[in-house]
Amino acid sequence: MDINTTFWFFDRIKEDNLCMLYSGNFSDEITNKLIELSEYNINNIDALSKMKKKASFLMAECFQNIVRHGEKYKEVPSDGFFLTKNWGGVYYITSGNLIEKQKIENLKTQLEKVNSLSKDELKMLYREVLENSEISEKGGAGLGLIEMARKSGQKLDYLFKNKNDNFSYFYNQIMLKSDIDALNQKVSDFPLTDSISYHKKMVDENIMLIHKGDFSQDSIFPVLKIIEENLHKEFKDSTQKKKIFHILVELLQNISRHCYKIGDKKEGIFLIGNSDSNFVINTGNLIKNKNIKSFTKLLDEINSLNRKELKNLYLSKLRDRNLPNNGGAGIGLIDIARRIISPLNYHFHPIDDEKSFFTINVIA
Amino acid sequence: MLQPFESKETRDKPYIIFDPQNNRFEIKGNSLPEDSTLFYKPVIEWIIEYAKNPNETTHLICSLEYFNSSSAKMMYELFIELEKIKDTENEVKITWYYDPEDNLIEEKGLEFQSILEIPFNVLEKKS
Repeated sequence: MDINTTFWFFDRIKEDNLCMLYSGNFSDEITNKLIELSEYNINNIDALSKMKKKASFLMAECFQNIVRHGEKYKEVPSDGFFLTKNWGGVYYITSGNLIEKQKIENLKTQLEKVNSLSKDELKMLYREVLENSEISEKGGAGLGLIEMARKSGQKLDYLFKNKNDNFSYFYNQIMLKSDIDALNQKVSDFPLTDSISYHKKMVDENIMLIHKGDFSQDSIFPVLKIIEENLHKEFKDSTQKKKIFHILVELLQNISRHCYKIGDKKEGIFLIGNSDSNFVINTGNLIKNKNIKSFTKLLDEINSLNRKELKNLYLSKLRDRNLPNNGGAGIGLIDIARRIISPLNYHFHPIDDEKSFFTINVIA
Repeated sequence: MLQPFESKETRDKPYIIFDPQNNRFEIKGNSLPEDSTLFYKPVIEWIIEYAKNPNETTHLICSLEYFNSSSAKMMYELFIELEKIKDTENEVKITWYYDPEDNLIEEKGLEFQSILEIPFNVLEKKS
């Protein structure tokens, strides 16, 4: 992942009210936090709050599919994919997991069967599977698929994509339409193949989590928890963990404090991934063009200093009691710069006369 | 005597107890509120009041797990107000605890130590 990755994603999901993508391991702790983050996001959008329960249920169902399959294939690194997004009155939930090629045919048969049935027939099949323990033992996924079709009220959208000689990815996408928007808004069309191209980009560039949406304090916590869980596995060294955590907090709170606000929303995008044994963090948000000059000056000043000079600048800002707190002072960025491998890599991408897209990329 | 000040621990705010009667002064936990000024304003105001008529000895214990840079700035303000106790001929000191494996908190403690004129001990937490 480099600095251009931020805009690659932002440009594709800029119309989304929210979008969250995750690629990696699926522990219970991580899935819980992914659901918590999605629920927080849903709550924040009035038109969606009614479908919160349904969406949470469907997400849990998707995760179970990923986890269930993941457990079976311990020999391969469990790379699952998960996406939730809200765009044009529709809430999308996409999941992807690896499946042994020899099992594809059986799963396809199940999917086709579910898709061929009416609402009432699905209900009957559901009862049948529940009552017949033999069927449910054979394929727990079967029940999950039926429930997904019933709860979403849509045909299951799925695709298989080759991974290697033995495995393929099984992708599945669910659409939930909100009541209000279904009546008077054009329903968006987000093809499953787009989700898959995002997943490919994440795998190719080693990206773990992408979050586009509101960056108020409450949404920061589940994000931090997801990363912490992942860090836990990556690092035994708690100093490194603390450092990443610190950089994350400062960057996420910077979005919240400095971004161009649309209504009450503090919108931005955040990406985290790996590069060799380091972490790469990108953030992006819109800023007013008139602030570019002073911001560039601050960033260039920080980048021109060595570690010792940065420390002195940090301490002098800490002691300067005339500086405004909570932004402007740049103290957070200075402290980040002291702890990263390369300089603060940044870029402004012009949007219109009033605003630009600002992105920052750090390696720690 | 000044009423004790207490602030409950949350996921982004530290536990704070300033209790002159029992001579207990402690800050612990996480501090990463988005608006640290808002959170620390009453804390610092309490210290300003207290520093006018402090106990004979005041020993502040800080054992933080994490704090963001805007909290660092407010903590500095707090320490500066506490430093004024020295002018009243009373004693004041700060002990800063860090986990043995936590270089960030240790480093932050040493930084405060280097810019304050108050006895400031940076100690490893004993588990």
